[in-house]
Amino acid sequence: MKYPEFLDPLETASREFLNDLQDNAIGAMCRHAQDYAPLIRQKCAEAGVDARDVTSVKAFREIWPFIDKDDIRIFRDTHNDVGGGTSVTIPGLTVSMGTTSGTTGDPTPIPNSRLGAPEIGYCRDLWGIGMRPGDYHVHMMFTYRGGHRRRLYNELGVSDIYLSMHPAELPRLVEASLRFRPTVMNNFASPFLHAMEQYIEKTGIDPVDVFSSYKGAIFGGEPLSDRMKAVVKSWGLELYETTSLGDVASTTDCRMHNGFHAYEDLAYIEAIDPITTDPVADGEIGELVVTTLVDRLCPLIRYRTGDLVVIDRAPCGCGRVHSRFKILGRATDQILVEGRSILPREIMGIVENHSETRHGLFQIIRRDREMPELSIRIGYDPERLTGRADALKARLHDDIAGQIGVRTVIELVEEAELLKLGPPHKIPRVTKK
Amino acid sequence: MAMTSNPDIVGSYAVGTRREFYSAMRTELDRSGTRMVRTLQTFGFAPQSFVLTISSTPEVIQFAPFEAAVQQLGLFGINADDSPFDAGRVESISRQFNPAGMMGVSAQTLEGLKMMGHDPETVFRGRVIWARPDAWQAVSRMDGVTARRCLLIGPALGFGCEQGEVHLDRWEWDIRSEQGELVLSSRLNRFEPVSGLRTGVMGALSGAACSCGNADTVVEIHD
Repeated sequence: MKYPEFLDPLETASREFLNDLQDNAIGAMCRHAQDYAPLIRQKCAEAGVDARDVTSVKAFREIWPFIDKDDIRIFRDTHNDVGGGTSVTIPGLTVSMGTTSGTTGDPTPIPNSRLGAPEIGYCRDLWGIGMRPGDYHVHMMFTYRGGHRRRLYNELGVSDIYLSMHPAELPRLVEASLRFRPTVMNNFASPFLHAMEQYIEKTGIDPVDVFSSYKGAIFGGEPLSDRMKAVVKSWGLELYETTSLGDVASTTDCRMHNGFHAYEDLAYIEAIDPITTDPVADGEIGELVVTTLVDRLCPLIRYRTGDLVVIDRAPCGCGRVHSRFKILGRATDQILVEGRSILPREIMGIVENHSETRHGLFQIIRRDREMPELSIRIGYDPERLTGRADALKARLHDDIAGQIGVRTVIELVEEAELLKLGPPHKIPRVTKK
Repeated sequence: MAMTSNPDIVGSYAVGTRREFYSAMRTELDRSGTRMVRTLQTFGFAPQSFVLTISSTPEVIQFAPFEAAVQQLGLFGINADDSPFDAGRVESISRQFNPAGMMGVSAQTLEGLKMMGHDPETVFRGRVIWARPDAWQAVSRMDGVTARRCLLIGPALGFGCEQGEVHLDRWEWDIRSEQGELVLSSRLNRFEPVSGLRTGVMGALSGAACSCGNADTVVEIHD
């Protein structure tokens, strides 16, 4: 049987249809949130807003208040509500409680229904990469997102191979790849890619053979560096980047690799000026704000993500109409040194260019938004150290200070020390100490 | 849609240090879950209580049925990884959600809690803790903790009831003890039938009916 190119006909719906859908869905979700989510109800009361007045996206943008992570934390602490006033448990619909990675604090609970928006998104993404019924899919993930309950791929006739996201699992990944010949993998995170690079060097296995059946792998957790992109390409494996759409859905790039697709039937996205909250036009840099259109258990409405993005609503070369966006960094990760704005992404490429620090493990020390110097803790691989650590430190210092152009202080630690800080697919890139 | 002869799930099980891939269909895991209800319900947890499952992703074969049982009883499941690095999540969930039970506590979780400055006994107090063999001695000595066993027997999961006996689904699995080692065979249709699997788990079978009222097979463990 010849299967359709897109899993969901909505992926290629017209712009007019998507706009109509959003006009209708956003009012329904606002009414639900105001009725059931205590934080949303409180915010509406403070702003004098009634959800019944949300008759369109335009009306929504004119009246609805924003919320952010601090609002949720404050509500959680002052109301003894672990869901921060945004989670709703509905017996029968709620099947479990997932949690976020907890990179920077207590993991945030996210109620799971039988079929969540991230699962719908990933199914479309993997289908787009080439997954079809009868195929094997490597599910390399933590259990905390949704336990062992996922079954959408199985319902499509796809077999899931379950592996831990741990470097010790690499021989199993190789064995599973050769034995079952999967077509897709989700998620090939950066510590795993680095460990695979080392594993290939040590064992001499042929990565092109190991990955020959794959049509693609989803990569996420952290930005994909140029060096790793090139390394994985040499294995014959195409990576697709993914990230969370402000905890309301997943978002992944397509074969055009020109931004993350935000499925507009699942979420409404907008960009605002992070200081004034004024709307920012498509194509301009702004803070990403998301609103779920489908998640009745966690109705995040007008949630400020802290991500600095550029939105593009032009149709994509992949055939989808849904908008795309590019992430420049997190507003809270940005530091100012001598008047210069610096984001972790700028440091990544410099650090990974050195053999001993090729895995790009580093943290920026950010005690305040404005700092007198750029202070960075960098992890190195002791096995690749050819001279003294002091010499490496000096090399890194000169390179970073030279390219970024501000006063720079380097602290070197062994990679293992930084990896302990991770959940473990990513480490906090910005820390206060 | 074309019919497929592939499994839904490829998980794994361990015998000693050797790990094997193991394939199954979702229906096999669902029916196991329905029968695990018989053991889990002996605790009488209040509906909408939380039950934490600590496991690794490839243990889907053993723990997906347990999660199905949790859901069938109207409880809310929540998860953490069986890793010292995810022990902080175990502590956080304990503090925020006050779970009635924690399934699958291992030596890795204990080590991680201590590494992060948490006292496992404080984290576990007032709860049912189903401990894996490598954590059993430590957990069973903790004050204020209802310690029960969690036992991975090849692709099967046995766990302690309210009375403290380890039950194994009698429809799904035929189990016997040979020279003190539990040997497992499947009784029903499975994608990957099991026949005489020497599980590496030392134990025996009890012929007595358990006082919890569940007629499922009772496994006695030799420490």
